[in-house]
Amino acid sequence: MSATTAPMAMDLSSTPQVPMSRLALVEARKALDTRAGRWLIVGILGLVLVIEVIYSFAADNDAKGLQDYIQIPGFTLGYFLPIVIIMLVTSEASQRNGLVTFTLEPKRSRIVLAKFIAGIGLALSVMVLAVVLAVLGTLLGLVTGGDSSWHVDGGLLFYALFLSNMIGIFIGFALSMLIMNTAGAIVAYFVYTLILPTAVAILSSLSSTFEDIAPWIEFNTAQAPLVSSPYSPAGEEWAQIATSGAIWLLLPLVLGIWRLLRIEFK
Amino acid sequence: MIKVEGLTRKYGAFTAVDDVSFVCQPGRVTGFLGPNGAGKTTTMRVMVGLTPPTSGRVTIGGHLYHDIPNPGMHVGVLLDASAQHAGRTGREILTIGARTMGLPDSRVDEMLALVSLDQTEAKRRLRNYSLGMKQRLGIAHALLGDPSVLILDEPANGLDPAGIRWMRGLLKGYADRGGTVLLSSHLLHEVEQIADEMILIGRGKIVAEGTKDQLLAGAEHKASLVTALDNDQLSKVLADKGVPFTAAGAGLRVEAPPVDLGRLSVEHGVVLTDLRSADGGLEDLFLALTEDTQRDDLSSAVPAAATEGAQA
Repeated sequence: MSATTAPMAMDLSSTPQVPMSRLALVEARKALDTRAGRWLIVGILGLVLVIEVIYSFAADNDAKGLQDYIQIPGFTLGYFLPIVIIMLVTSEASQRNGLVTFTLEPKRSRIVLAKFIAGIGLALSVMVLAVVLAVLGTLLGLVTGGDSSWHVDGGLLFYALFLSNMIGIFIGFALSMLIMNTAGAIVAYFVYTLILPTAVAILSSLSSTFEDIAPWIEFNTAQAPLVSSPYSPAGEEWAQIATSGAIWLLLPLVLGIWRLLRIEFK
Repeated sequence: MIKVEGLTRKYGAFTAVDDVSFVCQPGRVTGFLGPNGAGKTTTMRVMVGLTPPTSGRVTIGGHLYHDIPNPGMHVGVLLDASAQHAGRTGREILTIGARTMGLPDSRVDEMLALVSLDQTEAKRRLRNYSLGMKQRLGIAHALLGDPSVLILDEPANGLDPAGIRWMRGLLKGYADRGGTVLLSSHLLHEVEQIADEMILIGRGKIVAEGTKDQLLAGAEHKASLVTALDNDQLSKVLADKGVPFTAAGAGLRVEAPPVDLGRLSVEHGVVLTDLRSADGGLEDLFLALTEDTQRDDLSSAVPAAATEGAQA
């Protein structure tokens, strides 16, 4: 015990800071060590598997290439990965373990970074597993009579699977840090990804002016070129992603981080 | 060593902690005592950087908590034993702490053994823990990194009498080995027997501090509890002398120090069977010092409490 040798001043020289790699690993563990977190991940992958099996029997035989199977996790993950992220962040306040997290590492920005790294790592792992499932699906497609093609469009992999899901988890980070309540953040997330684009679509069908403006100000609409064929967003589409993303992703993310750094965990 | 200097924390117009200063010495257990809402938890939260102070500061071993690298290895903290994910097992909660601090998983088993949580209990989820088990787990968590300073908020809350005795031994031993221990409580008897130093806080302000003897030395004995063989005779004597008194249990509560009553008894030949100070206990002192900060009106309850206090 250091107090016996130096009763008044604490000697910190031999204590290094907790390395970021260790913080990130702990955060990844925290995303998976509760029933909710573990079953959500298992559920996501299980759902992908189920859809691929059904697809194998239901789809036309000429639509059973690897490319077709990869679209399934591409869309399924998009809905559920952000919820894993939301729970990882909001549990600090909802389950109150933030009291411990932020006393073991009082530099909160380091915890934010650790959560980002853990979230990205988890998302990448789930994507890799989903691609493995897509390969298995393609094999099942072969068995069920498909004339399978192993060709995959790089744009599909990068934009639809990787980029749109990465945007998704950062939307999860932004909403969870901003709302800091599990149920509230999940509701907000579904409003954000389901109700908002639906409302925009209705308005767009009523007004052609609005239809032109929509992709500039609504993030889901702007992301459509990422997740639909030919998976190659052009200059103006990137500009739309950038402007609507600034409003719907960057701004809430910055406000969320600002809030997490200041909130009093009770 | 924990040093609190001119600490103030305001929430809008409400001042939770008002210019509080004190020091917790190594090798001693410091009890932080006060009624509910007196500012104990807020003070401790500021110590570990969870709440920013409005003014003033707290240093631990000369450092701001925020500047201590891997603080779990230096400062053991238990603020709220229930503030953990309810869906994690006890073992998992300790494992997360140990991994963060960079300790081997064997440390988790050592701590579980130290706080007497067995393997079956360690596998249960926190939501199935009793408050006493949560406190044991919380103490295990605070001790994971073998820190030199312990900050414990109401650690005895929910422990059974055997558990409180166990914790007392644990913390005494810890302080004897040179550790600094600060523990808070709103229950005097929990702190009285374990703390070397006591800091009394009421409505955000320190109202008294010192060792138990120092605190008691300052207390005046102004009232006595007395029982005579013939209480009527005693009452008559008191009434003649104009000393106010009231009936209390089998005897009387008299607004005079015991020494005066002893003198009266000799002078008037009244045989006393029991005579003691009515306001000598630490509990009375505690209540008196925090009187204006109490939520409940204790005017009618004080004599009864005093009887217990004097006997204890």
